[in-house]
Amino acid sequence: MSTFSLLFFCIAVDTEYTTKAKAAVSQKSASLPGKPRTPIATTPKSKLQPRTQPNSPNTSSKAGSSGTNTPHKAGTKSPLTVAQQDLAGLHLDQDVDDAEREREKEKYKEKAAISMKTEELIAKVRKEEEESGKKNISLIVVGHVDAGKSTLMGRLLYDIGELTEKEKNANERGSKKIGKGSFAFAWGLDALGDERDRGVTIDIATTHFATPHRNYTLLDAPGHRDFIPAMISGAAQADVALMVVDGSPGEFEAGFERGGQTREHAWLVRSLGVKEIIIGVNKMDVVSWSQDRYDDIVEALKPFLVSAGFSAAKTTFMPLAAMEGTNVLENNAEDLKSWYDGPTLITALDKVEVPSRPYESPLRIPVSNVFKGQTAIASGVAVSGRLCSGVVQVGDRLRAVPGDEVATVRTIEVDEDSSSYAVAGQNVTLYLSGIDSIHLSIGTVLCPTSLPVPLVNKFITQILVFDLQSPIIAGTAVELFHHSMNLPATISKLINITEKGQITKKNPRVLQKGTTATVELTLRSNPGSSSGRIPSIPLETSQDNKEMGRILVRRNGETIAAGVVTEILG
Amino acid sequence: MKLVNKHIEKDGSGYVTLRPEDDEDMWHVYNLISEGDHVRSLAVRRVQTVSSTGSSDSYRVRTNLTLEVTKTTFSSAASSSQSTSSGEKKDPTAALQISGKVVEENDYVKMGAYHTLDLEANRDFRLTKTSGWDSIALERIQESTQEGRGAEVGAIVCGEGTAAICLLSEHMTTVRQRIDTSVPRKRKGGTSGHDKAMENFFSTVYQAVLRLIPYQDLKAIVIASPGFTRDSLYDYIFQQATLTSNKPLLSSRSKWVKVHSNTSHVHGLVEALRAPEVAKMLQGAKFAREGAGLDKFHKMLATDELRAWYGPEHVALAVDRGAVGTLLISDDLFRSSNPSTRNHYVQMVEAVRSRGGESLIFSSMHESGQQLNMLTGIAAILTYPLDIEVVEMEEREEKERLEKEKKKNGSGLVVDDEEEDEDQ
Repeated sequence: MSTFSLLFFCIAVDTEYTTKAKAAVSQKSASLPGKPRTPIATTPKSKLQPRTQPNSPNTSSKAGSSGTNTPHKAGTKSPLTVAQQDLAGLHLDQDVDDAEREREKEKYKEKAAISMKTEELIAKVRKEEEESGKKNISLIVVGHVDAGKSTLMGRLLYDIGELTEKEKNANERGSKKIGKGSFAFAWGLDALGDERDRGVTIDIATTHFATPHRNYTLLDAPGHRDFIPAMISGAAQADVALMVVDGSPGEFEAGFERGGQTREHAWLVRSLGVKEIIIGVNKMDVVSWSQDRYDDIVEALKPFLVSAGFSAAKTTFMPLAAMEGTNVLENNAEDLKSWYDGPTLITALDKVEVPSRPYESPLRIPVSNVFKGQTAIASGVAVSGRLCSGVVQVGDRLRAVPGDEVATVRTIEVDEDSSSYAVAGQNVTLYLSGIDSIHLSIGTVLCPTSLPVPLVNKFITQILVFDLQSPIIAGTAVELFHHSMNLPATISKLINITEKGQITKKNPRVLQKGTTATVELTLRSNPGSSSGRIPSIPLETSQDNKEMGRILVRRNGETIAAGVVTEILG
Repeated sequence: MKLVNKHIEKDGSGYVTLRPEDDEDMWHVYNLISEGDHVRSLAVRRVQTVSSTGSSDSYRVRTNLTLEVTKTTFSSAASSSQSTSSGEKKDPTAALQISGKVVEENDYVKMGAYHTLDLEANRDFRLTKTSGWDSIALERIQESTQEGRGAEVGAIVCGEGTAAICLLSEHMTTVRQRIDTSVPRKRKGGTSGHDKAMENFFSTVYQAVLRLIPYQDLKAIVIASPGFTRDSLYDYIFQQATLTSNKPLLSSRSKWVKVHSNTSHVHGLVEALRAPEVAKMLQGAKFAREGAGLDKFHKMLATDELRAWYGPEHVALAVDRGAVGTLLISDDLFRSSNPSTRNHYVQMVEAVRSRGGESLIFSSMHESGQQLNMLTGIAAILTYPLDIEVVEMEEREEKERLEKEKKKNGSGLVVDDEEEDEDQ
């Protein structure tokens, strides 16, 4: 927009140089599409499959123009009228006016064709998926603290080639320097200063890798109990979980018993919609690949995982040694080969079933990170998160909820490559224009302007009560977790207890562990501030949108319940 | 608060004259005054006079007015922007407004005219209870007029990018400031955004600490957070203090305590104050006792559900049976506009105390009180287990029995009717 007003201005200043100015105009407009086109032109290479190549000139020109015009999408009418007003006021030559109008019209025409219709896009994506057989999927790595999650993932990335030799060497040197040589692989993911100093993952690390049939988005979760909020934020973005347990003597038990994170993590990922889980029994080299030890651990975990809701068919166990990299890409330890012929980590990952994606539902992107892009193309306000549902294209106008701000998608990044669109299930980074970063925060939900997410203060939810220290009563102060948000809330009413869909008790006095119940949850307003700003959270009922309707309830650092939103009360 | 004058008869009628001095006194006064009471205090009133020629004239007068209270509003006004220099005690910021009808004749104001009084610190007022002074009210006066009462504690509850700076006194928690900065999370390819934002966040908190926490007067300053934020913040504060050679802050170092809390929200305070290292410093502080009481209730609920009751009706039944060992009750309930409701709760407290039980009156300006309020405001730990359903059934039977007796004693006509019904 600013370029145009600038142009008008320079036209206005010296009308004599109209022709010159015009030339400048055409030059500018010619040069403008050039920039955004470059990333888009590369998309077929990285993102689209070769089959679509014949189509690509067509699509790329469409998409290219979308890149230039997007900022005007909403105001398509207004630049014209503003231009007219400006020009009228400045008594300019008719022909300039016409030329401008022509140009605007041209844009207008282009506009109609820019973004593919949503249905077309969905059809295209579906077709591509079918043809290539390569599907997008998100993996969360969970487990008790110090089980070796980050190390295993660092190893996997190194073996696959995502982590270069150079980076690996640098990490090795760095970690040795501070006397934590065993953290060399973990440093590939633990990038924060605090994380490296303390040898503990604090926040989710997001990266990606590819197996022959899957494009993986990898989320490496912290295992320490204090950072479960970060882990929840990651688990909400995942389709499948890799649980790492420590096979060394005493360590597995410490993680599995009460107070360990193994149980809580399993419950969490399951209640956030993860149906398939791979269990890697790590550090098997420490117990010299003892089959007895492995079997003991598997036997201990199996019944628990079934009780947590993972079907036996969707549970895969495997012995691993992250530091050596045994059974990650291939099983190269003689001791292990003698008794184990199951899948390696990579083959197991390649076989994971991909859930169907709600492409047709309205777009929902719960923001998990807000930052400022620093590179040349990827600059300005950026958000990352996963598309819960729907599709997004460059040029779309999105509403940021909560708030009343609308932003335009300037660039979309999927797996660090720019793309002209993204679909449900992908983890994306969006570079936005027309919005200030103060209107965006972790927990904001981006959605179409026409179908915004409701803001909720009070809702009814069906919960499953986990293991807890003291039972839930009406009025229990809790924390509500929803995607990357966490807010203080109260269980304001216990409505009923159900068993297999049947209401067994109405208005119960307490909820003990293991019960399924319907309760009313209310967000707590800030104590003391009588100003009465009612807190709210963007969410939907699970009938409307599965992923937007899942919640977790925690108290005093333990997860006490998980639930789905059934009714919104206001 | 100063008790200037007290004139209370045996039967509970009479008045007291009080002089509130700080924020907490305002809170006490707010809890003392209930609807229908008479308050006499200095007021500024705009008086309008109309002369015989019809021209009107208005001027302000300072006069003593007596009001029959219809409404009171309290605001802790935590966000006052007074910026006195570091570490000194603040002027009171809480405000208490009392609206009501003028009930005593006055030179300027007609009887029955409405007025709204602003009670101010260091200004006397006289309070007359029309419904009589009960033990709870007297206890509160005694508590609030005690010299050198209370432990004052500062607290910073923080997480990555969020912090709440609070001051706790005996009866109040005031959140002086909430800091919420956006901190970009970890991302592949550079964590400079995160580091820069954290640095920025710490410096904001540090500035707020200097401005809002009178660390020289406080007994303790608690930094609570999950993870490592508290350590980083503590280090930052004292690194800055050293750099700027802030002697008073450095010498207060022994008062700073780092404790773990599971959340970065203000309600993490309850948990933080229970931590042994803090509890030691706060021995006997009211809010520490409240927190412990609530904790005990929750623990009891987990171990023996039949000994932890809550809700006004249920607790009343338990009190009737003399089963209550510890009564947890929120001051919110005593603020009821209905004198008989208040009386009901006063009697409950007295009944429990007379049987040797303990009654804890929670301040709803504390987090623990807020949590109790959400649990209906009243809860009890019983000395022996009682099944609520059995008790309710007993009550029902008792009621039916009483009704039957009534019927028997009443006219025989009712009985006849019943017999007829049976015949049919």
